[in-house]
Amino acid sequence: MANPLTLPMVPRALKNLFSKPATRRYPYEIRERFDGARGTIEYNVETCNYCMLCARRCPAAAITVSRENGYWAIEHLTCIGCNVCVEVCSKKSLTMSKNSKPVHTRADVGPQGQRPGHEEWYKPVPEPGE
Amino acid sequence: MKTTVVPFGPQHPVLPEPLVLDLILQDEKVVDAIPTIGYIHRGLEMMVERVEYTEMGFVVERICGICSFMHGMGYCVSLESIMGVEIPERAAWLRLIWAEISRIQSHLLWLGLGADAFGFENLFMHCWRMREEILDIFEKTTGGRIIHSVNRIGGVKRDMSDTELAAILVQLQDLGKEFKKTAHVFGTDPSINHRLGGVGILSMEDAAAVDCVGPMARASGLAVDTRLAGKNYYDRIEFEPMVETAGDCLARVVVRMREIEQSIDIIRQAIEKMPKGDDQALEIRPRGNPQGEVFTRLEQPRGEVLYYVKANGTKNLERFRARTPTFANIPAMIKLVKGSDLADVPNIILTIDPCISCTER
Repeated sequence: MANPLTLPMVPRALKNLFSKPATRRYPYEIRERFDGARGTIEYNVETCNYCMLCARRCPAAAITVSRENGYWAIEHLTCIGCNVCVEVCSKKSLTMSKNSKPVHTRADVGPQGQRPGHEEWYKPVPEPGE
Repeated sequence: MKTTVVPFGPQHPVLPEPLVLDLILQDEKVVDAIPTIGYIHRGLEMMVERVEYTEMGFVVERICGICSFMHGMGYCVSLESIMGVEIPERAAWLRLIWAEISRIQSHLLWLGLGADAFGFENLFMHCWRMREEILDIFEKTTGGRIIHSVNRIGGVKRDMSDTELAAILVQLQDLGKEFKKTAHVFGTDPSINHRLGGVGILSMEDAAAVDCVGPMARASGLAVDTRLAGKNYYDRIEFEPMVETAGDCLARVVVRMREIEQSIDIIRQAIEKMPKGDDQALEIRPRGNPQGEVFTRLEQPRGEVLYYVKANGTKNLERFRARTPTFANIPAMIKLVKGSDLADVPNIILTIDPCISCTER
């Protein structure tokens, strides 16, 4: 054990007095997530060909696709962010964004029983005359 | 003498997870302890019957938040040996590196929890600050801090570039130097010595009799380490199990502190020995469905883990079972608790590094 008379804590105490805090002032100062971090799935309705591979391979069954209606939906609260759908997507319509969705503060349930975080897209209706 | 029963848990300040012990006391001495588990049973093993074997890896990873990488790796290694897949060399080295980083992470977390349990809150914060750097490395390289999802049957999904690996090594070695100061406090502080030294002594014979695993056994002088079997490229690494002979709570702390330094050295060796180049194969797609059964052993931060996988040629496995290190260490914990003072029980329970989520699945 160090001899207390030699004041072994003094250098550390002085260092702590003049060094930056180890923590961040969190709500005011938010750390950027690293590149490649897995956050939320983002979807591009323009390029999707509704092949349903993502829905079939999703381990959490969070994705619903309907080819007839041109419909694609995801439940963000069910999604486990494993990146499998992004890997299998042949049209590169799905991307993994590094930012997470904010926490839901209300638990509204949609008309078809959709949970909060439910997002859906429909195929854009073609312009008349095209 | 009259006995008193004191329930310990499921909620207790030292326990991060619900373990229940009924302590039977005579005065201040514990004469018997009856463990109860089952508070967080989630039936993950049963899920194997309705989840496809390719997707089960993500479920297995979620057995525990601390050894999640090792659980995913164990499942994938089991399936690879059933299907006869030899994974690419670089993928195997990457798995080894991630496994050792997760060992450092787990030990730092435990040292912090231990410091908090014996009332040294400052040390707890230092350990967790260092753990945060490790979690940043995980987020940078795998994309997730706790759940990594990089293991696939047949390899890994992400690569680390050679420059990234070198930077990680430098970061880890700096962390190792910084950790030495914290380790010095653990080793020399008189209050820690007083609280942990000579408490809960498990002799080598007892440790062998109750089949201890991991740091618990190594602190009692048994040189058991599943990594010595040489699977998963550990045969290409030079290392020795960290063995202490005292067998008390302090020895278990010291073993884990030395293992952190050892893991940094293993990562250094792995980075030196792995094939260089960024455009190497990382994954081999296995064909067909698995057929057969296999036992896999891995050395998790807490000790030896055993996976039993039985496949029947369909896309759903027939049986999956994980025997986790905490389950193997509970008999030793009961042995230690008997005869100790009530005030020492929290420390004894914590030094086996209990992970109840793993145990109950």
